Amino acid sequence: MTSQPVPESLRSLLADTLDIPSAEVTPELSTQTLESWDSFTHLQVILALEGEYGVQFDPQRIPDLTSVAKLQAALAEKGVAL
Amino acid sequence: MLDDAQRQELKRSLQAATAANDASAALAAMRALLEPDCKPSDVQICARAATTLAGSLKQQPGMQSLRTFLVRSVTIEPILPYLQTAALLSGLLLETSLGGFGSYVDDLLSPQGGLASANPDLLLVLLDLDDVAGRLPDLCADGVGSAVDAEVASSVQHLAHLLRSARANSRARIVMQGFVVPHSSSLGPVGDANLPHSLPRAVASLNAQLAQICASISDCAFFDLDALAAHHGRARWTDQRLFLSSRLPVAALNFAPYANALTRTIRALYKPARKVLCTDLDHTMWGGVLGEDGVQGIVTGATFPGTPFFLYQRHLKQLASRGILLAAVSKNNEADVREAFTARAADLALTLDDFAALKINWNEKSQSIRELAQELSLGLDSFVFIDDNPVEAEAIRQRLPEVAVLEVPVAEPWRLLDLLADEPFFDVLRVTADDQHRLTEYKAQAQRATLEATAGDRDEFLASLGIVCTFASALDGPLARSVQLLGKTNQFNLTTRRYSAADVEAFSADPAAQAVVVRVRDRFGDAGVVGLALARTEGATCTIDSLLLSCRVIGRGIETALLAHLAQHAAHLGATRLIGEFLPSKKNAPAASFYPDHGFTSFPHDPTEPSESLFFKLDLNTHLPATPPWITLEGSTTDDLAASSGIPSLASR
Repeated sequence: MTSQPVPESLRSLLADTLDIPSAEVTPELSTQTLESWDSFTHLQVILALEGEYGVQFDPQRIPDLTSVAKLQAALAEKGVAL
Repeated sequence: MLDDAQRQELKRSLQAATAANDASAALAAMRALLEPDCKPSDVQICARAATTLAGSLKQQPGMQSLRTFLVRSVTIEPILPYLQTAALLSGLLLETSLGGFGSYVDDLLSPQGGLASANPDLLLVLLDLDDVAGRLPDLCADGVGSAVDAEVASSVQHLAHLLRSARANSRARIVMQGFVVPHSSSLGPVGDANLPHSLPRAVASLNAQLAQICASISDCAFFDLDALAAHHGRARWTDQRLFLSSRLPVAALNFAPYANALTRTIRALYKPARKVLCTDLDHTMWGGVLGEDGVQGIVTGATFPGTPFFLYQRHLKQLASRGILLAAVSKNNEADVREAFTARAADLALTLDDFAALKINWNEKSQSIRELAQELSLGLDSFVFIDDNPVEAEAIRQRLPEVAVLEVPVAEPWRLLDLLADEPFFDVLRVTADDQHRLTEYKAQAQRATLEATAGDRDEFLASLGIVCTFASALDGPLARSVQLLGKTNQFNLTTRRYSAADVEAFSADPAAQAVVVRVRDRFGDAGVVGLALARTEGATCTIDSLLLSCRVIGRGIETALLAHLAQHAAHLGATRLIGEFLPSKKNAPAASFYPDHGFTSFPHDPTEPSESLFFKLDLNTHLPATPPWITLEGSTTDDLAASSGIPSLASR
């Protein structure tokens, strides 16, 4: 996956939800690299994105959206202009 | 709605306040940030700040900290920040812990279960229908199923057993959440509506029976989730996608309404309801201005455009019927208002007799409300003020911040009742007989005041009242009334300990303890159960833990009669010494000299146990307190003593 910079609005939302400084929100940030990103935090991330951008993710894909890059790609797929 | 720059600014002030451990600044920032349409991430930030600041938030005036245990069979984690913040803004700091997903029975019943180890102040039981009555959808499939009633009954029994066992083993106050009535079944809406045992009917019946069970358990509230879901649209209440994949029971857009409604139910378990509704008249009680439009010109009555006002009047009368005191606070000529209530009686849903007090004059309304607080012997935090004039409303907010203010939407008077329904001002879990008789009792109080003003001396006045006191066990107060007194008596309250029903039950069950209430009546009326005392005898010493009396009846010797009753019973149990405790609060100065006035002497307490209380002692051998001569005691003393201590009465042996 190419490492594009994370747009400011997404970065601030993820920083608030994951409770980390916004500088730490990189495309590579994932459930593997951030210990506090557990399954409940993941649900909160999904709900925050769905609420903010007015989209709904397929529940079968939700468990795989485990990094910032993957979330960004899934949003782009839904036609969200970040 | 806040724009992005305002949000960022508020987030920064919240961060700064958190870093500086400044709870009141943090609360102010949260209050501004947590507006109805706020972002989920803002709620999470506020909930985190609340956790960080818990220590100093606890010290905020009026803040109550509650260790909260949630027994659940659904995913509640993403909703917790909403619940914590909603509760915080209602003055409740929830420190939450969660039970396991599939272990709700164990959590509630097992001696090693979650409830036992969490030892919480508050227990929330949030279950899914599937876990409690999983067979119901199939049993209801043909709509005539004969096994449906039995299945509902057995689910209710199962839940009743869990709740009663939690009640017996824990001091926590309990909220039991009901179930959302499914908005569709395989019968379709027509079959659901017409067949006797459709699924919606079965679940509605389950809810109704569960509510009854909750009402029979002390300190247990039923949370009507179905009414809430219906209010917001049952079809949109749950996001099936996330319920089926993650067991999330509430759709994200309903998190805030859910948390607010649950908080409102929790609040009713801890915060006393307000007691007085002060209403403006012009543009509020009726349309138009009496002084300008005249008696025939004001808008009211059972036809439009009078109806919104007529419905408001009916609502007020309904509140009065359960003990909310009404006061008219209006800038008008009193004679004009009296004429309006007479000449337009047919168009008004209430009469002047429905009011406990009238403040119709040209004084500042803040002064009128202060006078009312004094005349009714109630704190300003018991008052609600309703007015259409933004200037009057703002003046009360500024000068009397304890008073809750509601502004009437002048252009849309039909919205007023909805606005009132959104406020928790008059929320109660139980209504007692004393509530129902409150207005009559306040009127009797006014007659007594008139008599007192004309009587020669005090003893003559007191004798002329014909006061009769009856003592009973606090369990027969009834218990709900005893808990109500403990919860809301502020002024004549020696220690202001806000015990729960379970605490009172524990006192009553102890043979060495006394838990008594006093009921009072005189020739003007029945004041009902107005006083309570808790005491415990150990060896030769009886210690009075709590003693309180409704301020309506102070100064008539009833407090002395209550003390005499306690003392005589303590002597009966073998005590030779009475210890009284006075724990000063912001409001209980009227009770400060109670023990010295009754011959108690100051008693230095154990310096190894730090305490803000003052202690007093009385030697019962030389100073047994006696009931004042103008008070008649009613009922068999032996039975009353037995009733208050748990000793089997002689009569029943």
